[in-house]
Amino acid sequence: MSKDTSRRHALRVFGGTVAGILSFAAAKTAKAVVQKGLVSTGAPKGYDPTKHKWLMALDIDRCIGCGFCVEACKEENNVPQGASYFRTWIERYVIKKAAPGSGNMRGECIVDSPNGGRNGFPPSLVPREDILKAFFVPKLCNLCEHSPCVQACPVGATFDAPDGVVLVDPNYCVGCGFCIQACPYGCRFMNPETRTAEKCSLCYHRITRDLKPACVEVCPTQARVFGDLKNCTPDDPIMQFITKNKVQTLKPHLGTEPRVAYAGMDKEVR
Amino acid sequence: MQRFKLPPQVVRLVILTVAIVASYAVARQIFVPKSFGQYGHYRGDALKEIASREPRYAGQKSCNECHSEVLVKVAKYEHKNIQCESCHGISKAHGNDPDHHDPIKLNDSLCLRCHTRDVARPLFLKQIELSKHYSGKGKCVECHIPHQPNEVP
Amino acid sequence: MFLAAAIQTATEVLPHIDGYVYPNEQNFLWSVLIVVYPYITGLVAGAFIMASFVRVFNVKPLEPVYRLSLLTALAFLLCAPLPLLLHLGHPERCFEMMLTPHLSSPMAMFGFVYAWYLMAVLLLELWLDYRADFVQWSRDNKGLKGWLYRLLTVGVMDTSPAALKLDHKMSLTISIVGIPSAFLLHGYVGFIFGSIKANPWWGNVLMPVIFIFSAMVSGMAMCVALYMIITKLRKQKLDIACLDVMGRMLFYALVVDAAIEGLDWLHRLYSADESIHVLKNLATGKLFYTLLILQALLGTVVPLVFLGLGQLFPKTISAAARTKIYAIMAVLILVGVAAMRWNVVIGGQLFSKSLRGFTTYKMEMAGHEGVTMALILLALPFVILTVLVKLFLPKRMTAARELHAVASAAPNTT
Repeated sequence: MSKDTSRRHALRVFGGTVAGILSFAAAKTAKAVVQKGLVSTGAPKGYDPTKHKWLMALDIDRCIGCGFCVEACKEENNVPQGASYFRTWIERYVIKKAAPGSGNMRGECIVDSPNGGRNGFPPSLVPREDILKAFFVPKLCNLCEHSPCVQACPVGATFDAPDGVVLVDPNYCVGCGFCIQACPYGCRFMNPETRTAEKCSLCYHRITRDLKPACVEVCPTQARVFGDLKNCTPDDPIMQFITKNKVQTLKPHLGTEPRVAYAGMDKEVR
Repeated sequence: MQRFKLPPQVVRLVILTVAIVASYAVARQIFVPKSFGQYGHYRGDALKEIASREPRYAGQKSCNECHSEVLVKVAKYEHKNIQCESCHGISKAHGNDPDHHDPIKLNDSLCLRCHTRDVARPLFLKQIELSKHYSGKGKCVECHIPHQPNEVP
Repeated sequence: MFLAAAIQTATEVLPHIDGYVYPNEQNFLWSVLIVVYPYITGLVAGAFIMASFVRVFNVKPLEPVYRLSLLTALAFLLCAPLPLLLHLGHPERCFEMMLTPHLSSPMAMFGFVYAWYLMAVLLLELWLDYRADFVQWSRDNKGLKGWLYRLLTVGVMDTSPAALKLDHKMSLTISIVGIPSAFLLHGYVGFIFGSIKANPWWGNVLMPVIFIFSAMVSGMAMCVALYMIITKLRKQKLDIACLDVMGRMLFYALVVDAAIEGLDWLHRLYSADESIHVLKNLATGKLFYTLLILQALLGTVVPLVFLGLGQLFPKTISAAARTKIYAIMAVLILVGVAAMRWNVVIGGQLFSKSLRGFTTYKMEMAGHEGVTMALILLALPFVILTVLVKLFLPKRMTAARELHAVASAAPNTT
């Protein structure tokens, strides 16, 4: 009986030691990785993500709904051509006049986005004389400060980069789709070819090389304004936009703190 | 004195538990990517990978390197803010190898895309109703020069 | 380039859209498989609660279903990860959820809660209850079966009264721990939906609670149905006292479940925030049959009425009639809870987050996320359960089990 006890005792000691060593080793490695510190990632030209904070702003009164941006984004980022995969898209809002004598401020609001606006817009089906107001609204990832999509990702495949962009790591994403459900703005989709979640990356591969995002490049009316809030002069378009405009953001009540600012946005926009 | 003896059930269960926890710790060591946790709860290498994709749109600056005389003309008119590639197609490949051309069919639909009257379009943009615009027949370029829209051919 | 785009756009068959949906919302993301998953984990939690009535709350009349409930829970739990793995875009990366879980995400809890519940609760409780029987069966059976039972003893062959008493005490502890674990197993699924503030159909505070209680109801109904089926198949006599108690527990759970779901609807209708129009259209339009008929009327109101009558007038309703009522109500409840999962998962994706329109769910027939696969996944636990019942549920209660029953009745005697 005493042999049994001492064997058990030895087993216990051995097991505890092994577990202790392993967990100590694991903790040490984890600490070393984290302590690597904030150095350049080796992205193009030694780009340091902590030294930038990118922002896109949208001037609704200048958007003409040409759809160049949607097309450019699809080409630049190899987005599947189908009508349900968009990193950015344009919505057209047509607000009818109130019925005469009704006492209402406005009539019905009709929204459409044929193929995301990629090929422009066919004429609205609403007769011209019934229309009170109409405008185009470009939509994209809202670059939230408290991204619900990042909060929802179970594995750490989507994340807030230090420079303000919300990115997806396609080599780590498991394709569960939880982030797509969590985004209040509908800006994410499941890429049917890679079977991972995808969204506007603010053309990360361009902005890290001193280029602008493809949609900003091709916009003919400067409806899309882009800039680096940590490295800009008062003459920069983004600073001009911020100084000149009263702005709104989408769905502020959800607490996601979206950073993309819209100038001239109407109450009907969701 | 009675020696304290752990019952056999407990011993076996403890051994199993330690084995499971230990194998989990070992798996974490082996399988978690090395750059994970560098900036936050994600692979630090992902930033590098995403940033290293090749841009496909060249941008006007790039077109300007060879076609500056065209851009000088365009810069005087309303179309100066339209990127060359919006009408002429993605041109990074062409920029790298000037003999490489991706053929783009330039036709009226490119003009009408912006200039057709739409209720939602702001009025600073000149718009036409095609059927009412000189009977809607004929090509746009018969009367308009795309690079210099205020001039006549 | 443009031609390719035009062709792909022209040949893509999009679902029928009413009103306006965000372009990315046109395609459905979470399919019927994600309806099956909460259904299965709900049955697990509910069956386990039924078993814990016996162990923790000493509800004597439920003894006959104790082991069946645990085996049911096990059969369904083993199948639970399958719909998730089939749905993932990259199932080969599923281990990432356990190795680098993002602690802010409820979905990351899956690996750990599942592992904990399977190993530390269910398998452990089963082992502690069955160990004495495994020892006995390993001696009685030769060949492969004997080896299996011997393996399952994990080498602990002591069947002295002291060892059995320890088994029983540990089992009681596990059962007590198991109740909040069962709530966690299904509650986190409810929280997966309840945490999505972007979706007004999902993101509210009552969602985890509703999931837990509807899980309990469905699991208990499954135990009732299975007990009746197995007893009939074995040509044994139904224990009406056991059925009556199960019916009563089912009724109480259903009352709480109906109250909480009713509270959810009442609150939505009363406070009527921005989303009320699209959600009312959803509930009375696309979800009319599954929500109002299947879930509310047939799955909740009808069982409440009939089970309630069984409770209020037990003497006027004969045992045979009561048995029939329990059988039919169990089936209705199972269908109603399945409809509830459908309404939550599919319903939450049918309307746009722009609150302006609806899409449609085109459920595939074949395909790894189609209706055939869903039915296979629902049938698979029954196949596993048949094997488990053949191996572990003898027709008569074993001597060891009776000893346990006696021990739990009088915990203070040695």
